[in-house]
Amino acid sequence: MNLLQQVLDGLGSGSVYATLALALVLVHRSTGIVNFAQGQMAVISTYVAWTLYDAGVPVWGAIGAAIVLSLVVGALVERFLIRRFEGGEPLAAIVVTVGLLISVNGLVSLIWGTVLKQFPSAFPPGGVGSGSGGTIGYGTLGTIGALLVVVLALNWLFRHTRLGLAFRAVAANPESSALLGLPVGRLLMLGWGLAAAVGALAGCLVAPKLYLAPEMMDSVLTYALAAAVLGGLNSALGTVLAAWFIGVVENLAGTYVSFVGGDMKIAVPLVLMVLILLFKPEGVFGHKEVRRV
Amino acid sequence: MSVVVDEPAVRDGGGTSRRRHGRTLTAVALVLVFAVFPLFMSPFANLQVTLILVYAVAILGLDILVGWTGQVSLGQSAFFGIGAYGVAAGAVHGWPVWAGLLLGTAVAGVVGCLVAIPAARLRGYALGMITLTLPVVAVPLAKRMEAVTGGAQGLNVTIVQAPAWTGLAADQWRYYVVGVGAAIVFALAAALRRGRFGRAFDAVRVNEALATAQGVHVTRYKVLAFTLSAVYGGVAGVLYVVAVQFISPETLILTLSISMLAGLAIGGLRSLLGCVLGAAFYVVVPNLTGSVSAGQSYLLYGVCLLVVMLLMPRGVAPALGHAVRRVANRRERAAASGE
Repeated sequence: MNLLQQVLDGLGSGSVYATLALALVLVHRSTGIVNFAQGQMAVISTYVAWTLYDAGVPVWGAIGAAIVLSLVVGALVERFLIRRFEGGEPLAAIVVTVGLLISVNGLVSLIWGTVLKQFPSAFPPGGVGSGSGGTIGYGTLGTIGALLVVVLALNWLFRHTRLGLAFRAVAANPESSALLGLPVGRLLMLGWGLAAAVGALAGCLVAPKLYLAPEMMDSVLTYALAAAVLGGLNSALGTVLAAWFIGVVENLAGTYVSFVGGDMKIAVPLVLMVLILLFKPEGVFGHKEVRRV
Repeated sequence: MSVVVDEPAVRDGGGTSRRRHGRTLTAVALVLVFAVFPLFMSPFANLQVTLILVYAVAILGLDILVGWTGQVSLGQSAFFGIGAYGVAAGAVHGWPVWAGLLLGTAVAGVVGCLVAIPAARLRGYALGMITLTLPVVAVPLAKRMEAVTGGAQGLNVTIVQAPAWTGLAADQWRYYVVGVGAAIVFALAAALRRGRFGRAFDAVRVNEALATAQGVHVTRYKVLAFTLSAVYGGVAGVLYVVAVQFISPETLILTLSISMLAGLAIGGLRSLLGCVLGAAFYVVVPNLTGSVSAGQSYLLYGVCLLVVMLLMPRGVAPALGHAVRRVANRRERAAASGE
């Protein structure tokens, strides 16, 4: 196998981890919670897209509709479930997202059953390059491209619109923002809604590579968590770079280090993450926390 | 983890003599009920209670770390597995149970300490992510080390047989053995919490800088809490093998760690009763939801979890304590006005 191709494949799966990790960062920035249900919410969005596609909607339309629907549902989840646990005991908030994970998983199995489903790729089959250089699939390129679009769109939203400015104010200091008259609650809903929408995209990107199943995102969530923490939980750039790093390292280690093999593949980026965190506890791109007595 | 100052480490043991009297009576009644329970119940019910005690010990270990010291861990299932494999592998090689118990808990403690020494520098989600690595690595490792662990098949053992003179069935004897073991480690934890260590852990949780100023060596106590938590996880693993006579890699998956954390939140932090209630939720509720509807068992379990958290965000034990205090106060007021 060609090294370049392995690296690019790693970037492809890393881009999926990055997309879900961005959703985690959005939730963490707005509400200070790490949402363990983010992957499972992405799964149900993907099932919705599949159902629409199955009913005859073109694949891009189905994915778009699922993303919009996720935006709404994500905002409602924040408003009616998570709101009650913000600012309380952090463990309670974590466990609520775990409860959400279990419930959504059960709901997916109930509605769609546990039989694997084939999800259509939004990109054409085949790829560029051939021969000794290997082939870079359009799916891989499309996934990387989709991630870049998400990053640019979020960057534009947060840096160049009044809405993004308000959102950043709420993330930085909810109390002062409320005193300034910003609709804090609605902006928090926006954070969760955007996260659910980005997560839905991650689900639709990964589903053609795997089969659509209730547990599809479990391992992706583990990688995304690692990427988000490694990136400092607040930085989009750091998160994307960390996710790419994880995807490439995992792919190379699984292919070239015979001891690692398929079963230990997931451990390699995690162990590397542990080593990095020990030297940079705030994450590679995070900011040092200042504490007061 | 945010700073939460609520109940003090040393509970007010006072109250009126009537109340103290009532508390002693309740305790004696509970011990009696617990002692005669297996003689009248089915083997299945006995196994359920035994498993509740097993998980209660593991959740208590997690409470030492999360509730007492304010850290977070997703690695408890790995320590549970180390303890379980310690006693099971020992039994396969003909070791007595106590030797397996020592081996399993010692290895769990050493691994916990080794992880904690570097990890104590981290807090919050970074620490959570590091501990998440433990079960992710432990499961494939347990599958690979076939010579010790029996590989993916796991280990079947026959340990802790009821002596003939007792006339007890296997499930009843294991119930008592696990019950006594759990009682010992619960009593140890209660003593620890009331003393110097409990206060130091509280200080670390509430404010690290202040703890340092008071002469509490923060890193040392974090490592100690992590090690203790791992040892409790190991003990729970040993008790698990006593209860079910089997261990396989599937037992130590990350899901178990997450379920234990959920059990801790449901029972309530910093409460011995809460650890038991959380374990009971983990063991009993899936059975209940499964009997209601096999197909929707998982969905119902998740919904139960959410409903309990919504109704009692601080856990069942604090909510119960609050209710009991209210009733007792009302009664006392009624008695006082009647006099």
